[in-house]
Amino acid sequence: MKRIINNYALLLVAMAVSISSCKKEYGNLNSPTIEDYLKNASKDQLNGLVSGSLSGMRNNEGSYLDAVGVIGREIYRFSNADPRFVTELLGSGSTTLNNTGFYITNPWSSRYRTVKNCNVLIEAATNSTLIAEEERKGYLGFAKTLKAYELLLNLNLTYSNGIRVDVSDPNNLGPILSYDESIAAISSLLDEAKTDLTGADVAFTLTSGFTGFNDAGGLVKFNRALAARVDVYRQQWTTALTDLSASFLNLTGDFNTGISEEFSTGSGDQLNSAFFPQNQNGEVRLAHPTYTDDIATNDDRINKATLRDASASNSGLSSDRDVWVYTSSTAPIPVIRNEELILIYAEANIQTDHFTEAVDAINTIRSGHGVADYSGAVTKDALIDEMLNQRRYSLFYEGHRWIDMRRYDKLGDLPIDRPDDDVWSAMPIPSVENP
Amino acid sequence: MRKLMFTVMVFLSVLLPSLLFAQGRTVTGRITDANSRPVAGVSITIARTNAGAVSDADGRFTLSVPENATILISSAGFKSQSLKIESSQTEIQVKLEEDFAKLDEVVVTGLSTNVKRRNLANAVGTISSKELNGVAPAQTFDAALNGKVTGAYINANSGAPGGGISVKLRGVTSIFGNTQPLYVVDGVYMDNTATSAGLNAVTGAAAGGNASTQDNPSSRIADLRAEDIENIEILKGASAAAIYGSRAAAGVIIITTKRGKQGKTKISFTQDLGFVEARKLLGVRQFSAQTAGSLSSDSATSVALSQQFTDAKAAGKIYDYEKEVYGHKGFTRNSVLSMTGGNDKTSFYFSAAQKNEDGIVHNTGYRNTSLRLNVDHRVNDNIKIGISTNYVNSSADRGLTGNDNNGVTYSISLSSTPDFAQLHPDKFGVYPNNPFGASNVLQTIALMRNNEDVNRFTTGVNVEAILQKGTRSTTKFIGRGGVDFYNLVTSALFPRELQSQTVNKGTAIQGLTKSLNTNYILSLVNTFNASDKLGFTTSAGYTQEGGDFNNVLDVATQVAPGQSNIDQGGALTAQQFRNKFQNEGIFVQEEASIIDAINLTAGVRFDRSTNNGDVSKFYVYPKAGLSVNLTKMRILDGGFFNNLKLRSAYGQSANFPAFGSKFTTLVASNITGVQGSIVNIQGGDPNIKPERQTEFEAGLDFSVLNSKLNFEFTFYNKKINDFLLLATVPPSSGFSTKFVNAGDLRNQGIEIGMNAQPLSLRNVRWNTSINFWFNRSKVTKLTIPPVILGSFGTSLGTFQIEEGKSATQIVGNDAPAHTGLVVLGNQEPKFQMNTFNEVTFFNKVSLRFLIHWKYKGDNVNLTNLLNDFGSTSADYDADPDKNGVPSGPQRIGQFLGGSARGFVQNSGYLRFREIGLYYTFNKIPGNIIRGLRAGVSLNNFITITKYAGYDPEVSNFGTGFSTGVDVDPFPASKRAMFSVTIDF
Repeated sequence: MKRIINNYALLLVAMAVSISSCKKEYGNLNSPTIEDYLKNASKDQLNGLVSGSLSGMRNNEGSYLDAVGVIGREIYRFSNADPRFVTELLGSGSTTLNNTGFYITNPWSSRYRTVKNCNVLIEAATNSTLIAEEERKGYLGFAKTLKAYELLLNLNLTYSNGIRVDVSDPNNLGPILSYDESIAAISSLLDEAKTDLTGADVAFTLTSGFTGFNDAGGLVKFNRALAARVDVYRQQWTTALTDLSASFLNLTGDFNTGISEEFSTGSGDQLNSAFFPQNQNGEVRLAHPTYTDDIATNDDRINKATLRDASASNSGLSSDRDVWVYTSSTAPIPVIRNEELILIYAEANIQTDHFTEAVDAINTIRSGHGVADYSGAVTKDALIDEMLNQRRYSLFYEGHRWIDMRRYDKLGDLPIDRPDDDVWSAMPIPSVENP
Repeated sequence: MRKLMFTVMVFLSVLLPSLLFAQGRTVTGRITDANSRPVAGVSITIARTNAGAVSDADGRFTLSVPENATILISSAGFKSQSLKIESSQTEIQVKLEEDFAKLDEVVVTGLSTNVKRRNLANAVGTISSKELNGVAPAQTFDAALNGKVTGAYINANSGAPGGGISVKLRGVTSIFGNTQPLYVVDGVYMDNTATSAGLNAVTGAAAGGNASTQDNPSSRIADLRAEDIENIEILKGASAAAIYGSRAAAGVIIITTKRGKQGKTKISFTQDLGFVEARKLLGVRQFSAQTAGSLSSDSATSVALSQQFTDAKAAGKIYDYEKEVYGHKGFTRNSVLSMTGGNDKTSFYFSAAQKNEDGIVHNTGYRNTSLRLNVDHRVNDNIKIGISTNYVNSSADRGLTGNDNNGVTYSISLSSTPDFAQLHPDKFGVYPNNPFGASNVLQTIALMRNNEDVNRFTTGVNVEAILQKGTRSTTKFIGRGGVDFYNLVTSALFPRELQSQTVNKGTAIQGLTKSLNTNYILSLVNTFNASDKLGFTTSAGYTQEGGDFNNVLDVATQVAPGQSNIDQGGALTAQQFRNKFQNEGIFVQEEASIIDAINLTAGVRFDRSTNNGDVSKFYVYPKAGLSVNLTKMRILDGGFFNNLKLRSAYGQSANFPAFGSKFTTLVASNITGVQGSIVNIQGGDPNIKPERQTEFEAGLDFSVLNSKLNFEFTFYNKKINDFLLLATVPPSSGFSTKFVNAGDLRNQGIEIGMNAQPLSLRNVRWNTSINFWFNRSKVTKLTIPPVILGSFGTSLGTFQIEEGKSATQIVGNDAPAHTGLVVLGNQEPKFQMNTFNEVTFFNKVSLRFLIHWKYKGDNVNLTNLLNDFGSTSADYDADPDKNGVPSGPQRIGQFLGGSARGFVQNSGYLRFREIGLYYTFNKIPGNIIRGLRAGVSLNNFITITKYAGYDPEVSNFGTGFSTGVDVDPFPASKRAMFSVTIDF
């Protein structure tokens, strides 16, 4: 026995020797870690975060536009695989919006993911010793502008249910703020970004969606355009006009000038998920029948809803027109463009009783689309209706109708297709937020 | 490591004493069963030596024995005997008794030790070669396990060719960690990863993300050939498997392949021919002009649809597309050539096999080609080396089924295609677009390919060396290890002609996977017999396991016509996933046997892994067991009980955190050609710990009626502490999920086994075994709020991990009856039973059958809902409750009304899994053919179930936690086969 015990001892010693020399840490083999970037990021690393943030803005953009478009009665979205587009989103029967539904959880988490990326960019740029001060300001101003935009999109969905604004520490998230607090926070974030961008040096490459806006001055214009949108949401009409003047508003310019999300077929890139070919079956987006019913004579915006070979039906809903806003899988999705700014200009002027300026702006839009000049009553209420109608057609399937009708308390005016359908005013906060 | 190997070699060369045997005279003998039938393949060895022989087909053997020798006679399924050979004896007759209770079966107790079942402290399950493959062979090895393991919940994910089976031993042992047992084949740890083929790029089943668990991949253990397997032992939990450490939390399935036997070389050839067809079709809705019109609420379209129907009807062009798609009768064949033989030094087992099976859908099927060579060699009387090698090529054309958000899978496309749609190709072979869906299913079947092709090489070495041998103490070195390597190529091709490729204009998805698993164990085992009444077995050793997995997935779109190479595409996206780990373990185990009646076991394993947050920390997993045989102790003597044993065992094990769960990463997200990085949706936790399992089991085994009736009762209590949850974190953090050690889980259950020989006449024998088992799980602690997972949300029925509730509960909305979430069901069966029977007539005809009963347990069945939404369910227009609302709209109405209750459905079944009838020709004229067996078998032919889907066994999400979600799967099939075996 003794010899055996000795043998064991010998073997165990041999093992112990070999084990201590085998200790391994493989690290993460598949991708860089955030900790690497936060230490002392290089310019290339920061630029990667910039592109990543721009890329992330596009995640679930199609789902967002679908949800907002369906609830705002701009479109129908039929899917063989998911019935909830025609049930919960339209409030059929006794169905209601569900706080685990994909229509809120997917866009909500995608927006916050971009927010997180912007926060990493902000922290990484703040910690980096490898960039000049002006360059740092460029990164910070860009990141904050994008972050404000992403937060705004989520607030558009949850509205009176609010959003979280302070999300920098994942283990200690800030509270969910009320609508007013949230939108005020977004507004001041934009202002902060503007301060950063003033005198900054843009050391990063932006996509072709920023053509004309890819320096500090251009980014300020972009920033103020977003600020103007936030202003009208907050009913701060004079501020809106001030911000518009610092934006790229051009009353005589191309409606489509602006900033957009770009898509490409390149490696690791995305295609526009809001694009479907015409005359598809099964997975389809259709213009709500009232889009054609209500459109003015000669309005070229009818081209955003092209006639199908055969109409499509699902669950008692039917339409014979495809949504044709994004006409290819790489068509850009606008973030904000001149046509909206002209309409914001009109809106702010209506609200500040400058009806002449407002009517002129509205006529710019009308004539731009082949429609005769406005001939209705020149009263605040009538002009608001006209402005909302122009927004409906000009910004069709760009994510505005529902929000516009809501802020004017006119959701009751949206058409109901089936007797028990409902028009929702706000999406619930996802259940996983434990609101 | 080199140092260690050196140490071992020194031991081997220095310590090996050589033993010489005196060769005596020759003894011949014949071995028969209780009915005087000859028994072949019985091993006859001379006690305390390595010399021996094996009986031939007539039960005869010849052996050279020294004076005063004792011979040991043993054979699987019979009780062992020892006989003293008198000096006058030259011929002996041995009658073997059947061992129904398998008390003499040798069962593993550690990494390098084993014990006879009569002394075992655990309920270790075994499956013999005959049970596995001798009744009605399944297509793949994993499918062959189904219904045969007491204490397991085994479920086929779908009927797609090539397998895909989930095996859960004693309940859910992990929610996000590995739920599948570790497979060890001849000492080699086999990889059982299910690698997704990236179909999500086309189906969009997991919208928005790239990785998907809904691609219906097969499990890699399916590559293994059931014909090569001699025996399977199943360690169901930590009390038996603790010594396997951190990879044993979901149990261990130990597979021993066939080995060569000393004696005449035996060649055996088996040919199977058969067919496979869908087990059940759901049927389709019979349209009329009126119902065709009602497909659209737009009046003009409605009129046009009615007209379409009328025209189609007049032209005789009404089709049952479900039958066209799934109604193919596939031809199957399987050829196996095996050869065994050897002399006293070297023996071998060789097999070459090929299987080729068509599927129930055209252009689907499975092919498996395998070569195995197992060689055993005695270097001298003290050193034995065993080598196992296996090469497998398997290729599965799995079709395209299951969940899909783009309307491209067979099943989703069918769900919206009415019988008057015209999908057949014109005279130029051009398929029309399906106006009722995003794809033309006939076109998809004709042009689409989804193939998994594996080349796998597995080799293992087993070295046993007696280091020291005395009268009381023997010390052995046992070294065992091997390599499992495979290369998997998944290729899914969607040519540009497909209707569903209007946007992408041809998609080719190519996945290349390289997987290398290595492991070895070095151990010393000492058996010490202090006296006849007291024996000790001490073992200690070191193990190391490593894995290296590398998967590259390329998705090319706008692929040139007729091409499949990814460089023929207009756009390419690539993904790569690597996974690498190394685990190390040190174990020590002590087993004591007192008067061959009381057995005590205690062991401990120290384990560490590169997957843990702290890579250098050793985790400790102890185990202990006690068995007391009351009849052997003569406390209960001679009376009613022939054998009675009480046993209990305790052990701990763990499941490693998933690879990479400790890191918070940035992933690539490019835009217009510019490289971009974005935070991963999964957050990391640098402090992640393994989930720890503690299992206690206790049991009672007894035999009565002259050991013709045997019972085994087992109770177990399995606790999982710190179970890993990919917790959904508030997405406003920027992350959607994060691995956390979230709480504790408990599984309790009972397993009862009975085997008997109810009939034993000269010409009719009936052996039967009946098993009964159930498991109940409960989440005993949850440190985070309840987590919904594993399905599609509460409006369709989903799993929810919630403190105080069963881990497998299914919850959902149930408006208007209830507000909020209610429990709608439970995926876990109330109980399961199986019975395996063999009836032998005249020793020539053998009828074998396996019946499996799963009582209750719910599925989330969304297949019918999708058919209802497509207005094509067979009973769409029926109105069984006569309320004036047809079933289709009624069910849609219930869903629209906010109730998921209708989708949670009882998926219990009673299934005649396997029935086989075999005839053995005993007398074959001539000398060439030594034996001939012919038989017919039916697999999955009879199933009694109320379940409304294709098959109660289904899992849209593959082999993970969530089993039983039914979303238009590949329909299950039944198989019939004719088989001939010729022995030369």
